[in-house]
Amino acid sequence: MNTIYLLFTVLFGGAILTFLLGKLSRILYYIVFLLTMAAAVFVFYAQIRIGDTVNINVDDMQLQWGLTAFGWLFSLMVLGLGLLAAIYSIAYMKGKDRLGYFYLHFLISIGAMLGILLSRDLVSFFIFWEIMTWASYFIVVYSGKDVQKTGIRYILFSAIGAYAMLMAIVIIYGQTNSISIDDLAVNYSTFSTSLQIWIPLLLITAFAVKSALMPLHVWAPGAYANSPMAYTAVFSGALSKMGIYGMVIVFVTLIANLPQGVIIRDIIAWLGAITAVMGTFWAIAQDDAKKLLAYSSIGQLGYIIVGVAIGTSFAMMAALFMAIMHALFKGALFMAVGAVERQAGTTDLTEVTGLIRKMPWTFIASLISIIALAGIPPVGGFVGKWMLYESLISSDHYLLVILIFFASTAGFLYCYKFLFGFFLGQEEKEWEHVKEAPVMMVVPMMLMAVMALILGVFPGILLKPVDVAMQSMGYAETYGHLWSMSVLFNEWGNQVMLEPLFYAIIIVFMVFLVFLVLKGMKGTRYVTTKDISTSGEIPLEHENLTFKGNFFQPFLRAVDPVMKRQIMTYYRQIGDGLEAFFDFIRRVYSGNGQTYAIYVMIFLVILLLLKDSLFG
Amino acid sequence: MGEFFSLLLGAVVTFILAFFVGITYGGLTRIITARVQNRIGPPWYQNLLDIVKLFSKKTAIHHGAMHFMGPAFIMVTAVVSVLVIPVLNEGRWFPNLNFHGDLIFLLYIMTFGPLGMALGAGQTGNPNSAIGVTRGLSQMVGFEIPWVMALVALMIQYQTTSIVDLMTIQVETGTWIAFSSPFAFMAAVMAMFGMFRYAPFDIVGAPSELASGPISENGGKYLFVMMTAGSVFAFAKLTLYVDLFMGGADNLLILVIKTFALYMIPVLYGVINPRYRTEQAIRWFWGWPSFFGLLAILQAVFF
Repeated sequence: MNTIYLLFTVLFGGAILTFLLGKLSRILYYIVFLLTMAAAVFVFYAQIRIGDTVNINVDDMQLQWGLTAFGWLFSLMVLGLGLLAAIYSIAYMKGKDRLGYFYLHFLISIGAMLGILLSRDLVSFFIFWEIMTWASYFIVVYSGKDVQKTGIRYILFSAIGAYAMLMAIVIIYGQTNSISIDDLAVNYSTFSTSLQIWIPLLLITAFAVKSALMPLHVWAPGAYANSPMAYTAVFSGALSKMGIYGMVIVFVTLIANLPQGVIIRDIIAWLGAITAVMGTFWAIAQDDAKKLLAYSSIGQLGYIIVGVAIGTSFAMMAALFMAIMHALFKGALFMAVGAVERQAGTTDLTEVTGLIRKMPWTFIASLISIIALAGIPPVGGFVGKWMLYESLISSDHYLLVILIFFASTAGFLYCYKFLFGFFLGQEEKEWEHVKEAPVMMVVPMMLMAVMALILGVFPGILLKPVDVAMQSMGYAETYGHLWSMSVLFNEWGNQVMLEPLFYAIIIVFMVFLVFLVLKGMKGTRYVTTKDISTSGEIPLEHENLTFKGNFFQPFLRAVDPVMKRQIMTYYRQIGDGLEAFFDFIRRVYSGNGQTYAIYVMIFLVILLLLKDSLFG
Repeated sequence: MGEFFSLLLGAVVTFILAFFVGITYGGLTRIITARVQNRIGPPWYQNLLDIVKLFSKKTAIHHGAMHFMGPAFIMVTAVVSVLVIPVLNEGRWFPNLNFHGDLIFLLYIMTFGPLGMALGAGQTGNPNSAIGVTRGLSQMVGFEIPWVMALVALMIQYQTTSIVDLMTIQVETGTWIAFSSPFAFMAAVMAMFGMFRYAPFDIVGAPSELASGPISENGGKYLFVMMTAGSVFAFAKLTLYVDLFMGGADNLLILVIKTFALYMIPVLYGVINPRYRTEQAIRWFWGWPSFFGLLAILQAVFF
């Protein structure tokens, strides 16, 4: 049996097996689920080689599955994050009901994502895309409040995307009589100009929905926040990257051959930058950690889309690097939120406070991930941002640089809000019972955080597969003139040597930390957060000194004019308009026999009036 | 090994220089502010005395791990940026890490400290600290915009992101970038007001209403590290401005004169100004300074 079949058999079979066997005993859920994930990872990395293909003939259509270097790069996100999230979910889902339902759809969505990466033809791509959408939809509506509304939003926008994609596929098939992606790339230049523009636009619409590009993002905050955090890590980290995957293919194989492609590139890049800025603003305004991270994901995907849309080899490398970095740190952060949710019972940043001493490992993982998210050296997020800025400047997109930089700096605000909200600030009696999360939740988080740190010093580890993947897409080799193991070069030859900088940072940090700890620990005592300087007054036990509400009010006041306009209002107006229209149509069927008699009369009168022109 | 020790020596010497220059400027600022306000003011070495006093103080309490790490984070920012920024022209000073990082790296490492300090202040649980932090970070978003615009304009105009290259260009052409790219210089100087947090942008650590904001829970050794980092960082920022816009410096005396002259701009602007609220400050930075930044980019693109 071909190993690609084997992979799908393992994942989809394992999914059903988990669902069925779990009915016998709860423990079987965990065992079969983890075994399936592990087996899938094993089969994928040990048995399937880049270049393996398999053809399936269905009627006169030829489906083709195969692994490219580019698909392999994205599989790192799907399977790496999937495996860690699977381990995490064992502890996270403990005590929740309908485990079989959750694990079934978890595995199916992982399988569907791999299916997308393995599809070499448009029809199986579309089918796997839909399986992925539905599997994730079922998890979105698994639990939580406002399930119906969130679910409908998600499925509605996904449907818009899916129809756009389907339309594009039908047009392509009508034109070329072939559904192969490789054929499309070859035949594309023979299409008429209007088709050359419409096909990529339709496809990009589909992918933009999944990667939450504004203005198609409205489903994302609810869907991310509503899924169990064990899945949201995959949802935001890997599933949304499928949109990026598709977008890269569209930009590289189609728009690159389009004379007017520059305009499309600019429009998408600007939308990406606006998404980055607005996503950041809305993240700052959130009080719920899940929503905050959800908006932050939208913003971060905005950066990635900018890189993809600009599409120079440097920008593309930045985007792909950032995509994987985002999977790492956002995966870890969503898991940290899940850990807090499980241990403390809520994710409201204005309620939970001062967990640093109770959940130290979760804090460390969050701290490193937040530094990565903020793009501060020496953690990996910096490398991606650095490359993105340099690529934007050297490709003459100056205003985009300013916007992206603005979004990135404003990002510090929600980064701080997240850490401060959960872990710092006043320690209150209410949260005294909170304990550190179980090992199975902490280890995946820490692994990802450490990985982000390592990639910040030796980005070459990741840039090598990125380079290979880009070469398979037709880019020239970038090793040596844009990067080596721990040195980055820009296109003017300026460089950042990460390794010595990292050591300098660590040495300085350690010297002063040791100095402070040596001088500060000996003979000092720990004091509670109530024992502080408050202008001579001594706060009593019951006095609440927590500052959490309206956290960034001054900043939000300053940007108020931009945030007043929400795309949701317009969607709602469209929705209301449609509803009114349908309501009007419904009135035609009044249920009254006399009205119907009038309709018949009117119809006959019209027929009589038009009889000459109709029947001659 | 020898390389490491020469690097260490350079780092230590640069650090000491930065520390003394920074601390002296701090003292002089206090005198100048006092004279403007018709007071006599402390002697110029007052800050040095303060820092010695803080160092020799015994610490009685601590607030936990992040409280220790906060000041260390600021120190990282201060020391690494002083090592990355070249002190003198044409390699007349220790090379340190000059060739290892570029402007964008510097932009990011400079934001590391405030965030770390904010985290350190966060663990103390003092609400004043947290309020100060929200103001400080918001204001940072404000002034980073014109500052980045100015830097991007320089990068476009001179096709480099390396600070050393920009200095070399000025030495070769004999013109300061402040004159060849005046709008970038204006935007950068206006952003500097926010960076140094003198009035009217001093709401972050407002002494009377916020009990000095983020640093309010720190005394003794903590404050010693913070003050040292502040002095070193002030020197680093001033040197960066001199390097980028004012032709660098051939020797230390010229460097001191140029940096001091530059430093007086925010100080003197500050002493005659009242205080902005945070959102006013942010909008101020997104007004004229950003407009000049935009002009700078236009100039770099079209001329």
